[in-house]
Amino acid sequence: MKRYRLMGMVLALLLIASACTSDDTTTTAAGATTTAAGASTTVTLVQGSDLTFHMVTHSDDGVFWSVVKKGSEDAAAALGVTMVWNPSVNDPEKQVQDIEAAIAAGSNGLGVSLASPEAVAPAVQKATDAGIPVVTLNSGVNQYKGLGALTHVGQTEIVAGEGAGERFSALGATKVLCARQEQSNIGLEERCTGLANTFGGEVVSEFIGLDVNPDEQEATIAALLQADTDIDAVLGTGPNVAVRAIAAGQAAGREIIIGGFDISTDIIGAIEAGEIAFTVDQQQYVQGYLPIVLLWLFNTNLNTVGGGLPVLTGPGFVDTNNVGQVKTLVEAGTR
Amino acid sequence: MTAVATKDQSDSDPSVDERLVYRGPIQRLLTRPDIGTLVGAVGLFLFFWAVSDVFGIAAGTANYLDVSAGLGIMAVVVSLLMIGGEFDLSAGAMTGATAMLVVLLSKPQGEFGGAGLSLHIAVPLSLLFALGIGYFNATVVERTGLPSFIVTLGSFFTLIGAKLGFAKLFTDKVIVEGLDVAAGYEFWNAFFGATWIRNEHLFASRDLTFAVLLITGSVLTLVGLLELSFTPRRPTRPAGLGVLVVGAAAAAFGLRQLVDTDTVAANWTYGLVVGAGVLVGMAGLGAWKYQPATAVSARGGPNLGRVAMGLVAVAAGCLAAVRLDASSTKVLGFLLTVQGLRAILFVGLVAVGLGMLFGAARRGGSSFFRFVVSMIISAVLVGVAFLVKGESQAVRFRSTAFAVLLLVALVNAGTAWLRLKHLPRNQAEPVADRLGRVLSIGGLLSMFAAVAVRLLFMTQAEVDATRAVITYRISILFFLGSAVVASWILANTKFGSWTFAVGGNKLAARAVGVPAARTKRTLFMTVSGAAWLVGMLLAFRLNSVQANVGDGNEFLYIIAAVVGGNLLTGGYGSAAGGAIGALLMAMSFQGIPFSRWNSDWRFLFLGVILLLAVLANRYVRSKAEETR
Amino acid sequence: MTVPLLELRNVTKYYGNILALRDITTSVNAGEVTCVLGDNGAGKSTFIKIIAGAHQPSEGQLLIDGEEVLFDSPRDALNLGIATVYQDLAVVPLMSVWRNFFLGSEPTKSIGPFRRIDKATASRVAKEELAKMGIDIRDVEQSVGTLSGGERQSVAIARAVYFGAKVLILDEPTSALGVKQSGVVLKYIIEARKRGLGVIFITHNPNHAFPVGDRFLILNRGRSMGDYRKGEVNRDELIRLMAGGAELEALTKELESAAKKDAALAAMAEEFAEEVGQLEERAEH
Repeated sequence: MKRYRLMGMVLALLLIASACTSDDTTTTAAGATTTAAGASTTVTLVQGSDLTFHMVTHSDDGVFWSVVKKGSEDAAAALGVTMVWNPSVNDPEKQVQDIEAAIAAGSNGLGVSLASPEAVAPAVQKATDAGIPVVTLNSGVNQYKGLGALTHVGQTEIVAGEGAGERFSALGATKVLCARQEQSNIGLEERCTGLANTFGGEVVSEFIGLDVNPDEQEATIAALLQADTDIDAVLGTGPNVAVRAIAAGQAAGREIIIGGFDISTDIIGAIEAGEIAFTVDQQQYVQGYLPIVLLWLFNTNLNTVGGGLPVLTGPGFVDTNNVGQVKTLVEAGTR
Repeated sequence: MTAVATKDQSDSDPSVDERLVYRGPIQRLLTRPDIGTLVGAVGLFLFFWAVSDVFGIAAGTANYLDVSAGLGIMAVVVSLLMIGGEFDLSAGAMTGATAMLVVLLSKPQGEFGGAGLSLHIAVPLSLLFALGIGYFNATVVERTGLPSFIVTLGSFFTLIGAKLGFAKLFTDKVIVEGLDVAAGYEFWNAFFGATWIRNEHLFASRDLTFAVLLITGSVLTLVGLLELSFTPRRPTRPAGLGVLVVGAAAAAFGLRQLVDTDTVAANWTYGLVVGAGVLVGMAGLGAWKYQPATAVSARGGPNLGRVAMGLVAVAAGCLAAVRLDASSTKVLGFLLTVQGLRAILFVGLVAVGLGMLFGAARRGGSSFFRFVVSMIISAVLVGVAFLVKGESQAVRFRSTAFAVLLLVALVNAGTAWLRLKHLPRNQAEPVADRLGRVLSIGGLLSMFAAVAVRLLFMTQAEVDATRAVITYRISILFFLGSAVVASWILANTKFGSWTFAVGGNKLAARAVGVPAARTKRTLFMTVSGAAWLVGMLLAFRLNSVQANVGDGNEFLYIIAAVVGGNLLTGGYGSAAGGAIGALLMAMSFQGIPFSRWNSDWRFLFLGVILLLAVLANRYVRSKAEETR
Repeated sequence: MTVPLLELRNVTKYYGNILALRDITTSVNAGEVTCVLGDNGAGKSTFIKIIAGAHQPSEGQLLIDGEEVLFDSPRDALNLGIATVYQDLAVVPLMSVWRNFFLGSEPTKSIGPFRRIDKATASRVAKEELAKMGIDIRDVEQSVGTLSGGERQSVAIARAVYFGAKVLILDEPTSALGVKQSGVVLKYIIEARKRGLGVIFITHNPNHAFPVGDRFLILNRGRSMGDYRKGEVNRDELIRLMAGGAELEALTKELESAAKKDAALAAMAEEFAEEVGQLEERAEH
């Protein structure tokens, strides 16, 4: 008897549940449409605030990506469009799923970061094949064209390194240690290659320990400085490395010119105190802002930007001249 | 293979068992699990010192000691745990976790702030947290019977996730900052962040103190070792004492003159006087105190082949040193510079050659043959000394190496003479043993003090010559302290015995009443407590802690423990070995940038060095246990 | 009639629905050896676990000095003077002889944080106690793992005797040993008996049990096949009771006929008989 009562209850619950599902509410998009002729794919232009763009990135919503997000949000607010933020936290599979969901939802444009190009490329290809405009950002400067993306918004490591090289030359350094905090990381190596391209003197590129062991990083830089007394400048390819170099220089007992990459509270403080000369900033706010603008322009006016080349957001520099103002902006979350 | 005799067969004094093959204190020392590692560490130090000018001086020492301190404190406790038969894979992540916790707890409140507690509360709280995790690890292992490897792997992942999560939760960043503005910072910083800047503590008579301590120490150690190696003669022969006094006086006089004069001719003359004095003194000591040798039968045939091979190896090594260009940093193929290859070939071949000669001198052939081989070894050492003096590019290294090599050649010759003329020990002699032990230990302590004085203090001249600021952190004291305390506990306390028992055979230990669960729990909590200490040292040093600090270091701790002679399966090993293993690893890590080797190959170098260290360890032990 | 040191009355043990021991009654008096015999699977290991305190009986009573007891853990048994020497869990192989000897009860000197093991006393006492048992270990610093199996058992036995065990339980001490070494262990059993301990000697080899036992308990498939005093049963009967009679008789006959054909086998059989004879002789002293 007990068993039948239970079954009955379950059955009743199921019936009630199915009766309670809501119908899909459809909203019709209003607004004039114009059709572009002559192109192999027909693009429907839509004007006004009914555009939805999806930013599908490998963001972990940390201190770096939260600024990108702010850029996208501000751009969407300024243009009056909808922006959907899809962070995949370094999971390429999730990123692929998010892209496919965006395609299915009829997205008007995708902003995608190609941190794992091989995994994500097929999904991006699907989007461009379906006629959805795609702008890549942050990573993927070598792959965006092949996938049919409009352009790439970001900083290329080589150009960033070249910028740093010019800075060091201007500051009068003669031999720079390019200190990397990871081994076999192409991005970091390219920063050092760029540095060597434009720097007038010698460049020594060395791995100095993981961020996981900051005391080892400090000791290794100090050891290198003591082993090679010609080195008078250090470029840290990450914000932590640059800060470690300060103590290392003291241990070696001489003045060294220090440059870093990316922004952190410690590095801002050090630039203010005059211990670090500059840091290379890739201006990730722009990496969030520009894709929305570019996608809006393409959707409303069929404009393309870049002329087939990527749109560079860096190197921007933070040094003693602008550090005070940048600090305020960092606290506001836009740099 | 029964070693058991019935009662009526043995009527000897139970404290001196004459059926034992005599294993002197020296041999017993060599069978310790950590001696091989020590040999490896010393060898590595000499190697890097030869290749890089800076490595062997205070600036270099401060550098790798700093790195070894953080690694070493954990390596010592992980060794303890390994001896107890367990692993803790969450130890590295724990160091970062406690560091981050103390910053989060004491950060001033605000939008991206922390709990705003005073450090007087935050620091003990983080200790409680660490001990709690240790207790948790131990209890889960005990209750479930799962391998500790798995359980602590679970804690490891929990910790790294929690670290990142809490960092983001509180500060929206992966790094937490602001320890230096917390309440109570000055007080705790004096404890965890204390540094000793050498340049500010000058010691005018440092070199004199160093020389006196070193010479006294070497003499004491030498006499002590001789006491332990030869059969005492009863009664002693006063004539020998006279010769000893003459020799000692000559050596002292020559030394004094060496210090005072500085011309090349004078140096040579007085150097020879010192040498002659030492030899005569040693011969006199033997004649005075030691039993003359009886007719010795040959132990196997003379090993001429080995002698020949040894000489060839040494010659090859010297050839490499002379022919290869010392200053060339040309990269050969992909791995080494010419400079590095030269150093490796020279040191390696000479070491191998000397090893073979030494082997030939120990066994095989008549005592006279062995004496001749020993003299050949001394000659080789003298030759190598002059070669090093002439060819080595590391300025500071070569003068010290020259003196040391000559001294070793001298002592070796003297010992060879004594071995020819006097009877080696074949049983325990309580009086001589005690004297020898006291003298050796006193001598070693004196030499250690000499080196410490040399490395710890600077003279005004040095300060003027270098701009480097040499900083020693308090973490080094903690490192030394933990190694000493852990070794003492293992050797001398009940808990130490129980640790060995629980790791060797837990069920047998439990059956005799050893509280196995409680012992293991204490060990786990010791590991996490030490992780708290390392975390505090890190936090007060950096004032900001990134979420992933310490992750992955647990494997380095285990490697250091294994290199130090600890068995992975437990029940055997040494905490001091773990400390030496950590020192060895730190020297490898830091020696590479000092020698300007390509850092891309650093893990290859580390792997090779570790393999060599482990092999050296086993080799020394097997050689020492051979006569069992 | 003295009160036995250890007594089992109608002890039964179930593991789930498996009956490991059924209705076992035996006892051991001070200065006597009780042999527990049985082939593999007879329930000997369960028997040991119950008296050593690792498990509790499902039914029946365990009495120490005439008083009923219930053990919660091996520690309880140890505290009441019941020392167990397991076959391969007796000692910690990587530790030295003297450390093993004093494991769990190390002598200390000094006080407070500097309290340390009195190594000199420990080494000396270990060597003396072993010598008193007739064991002459060369060097008490050497690790126990370098000793032979028989010597290791001896160290464990000497340890138990020294620390005042009243009842000594030996779990198959001779099973992995050669003939000579087994004889040595039997000698120590006799030595322990002389010291007034009650010894429970568990084995599946009646030729080892017979010379030293004062009481014999035979187990077969968890059941007691009989609890005999010495003199009430001879060796062949013991074997028959252990294995179940008829089969073994047949086997014995086969072996004997084979022996007739093979001189070597016969010689071995003779040697075997001689050894047993010697053991019996020594046991009688």
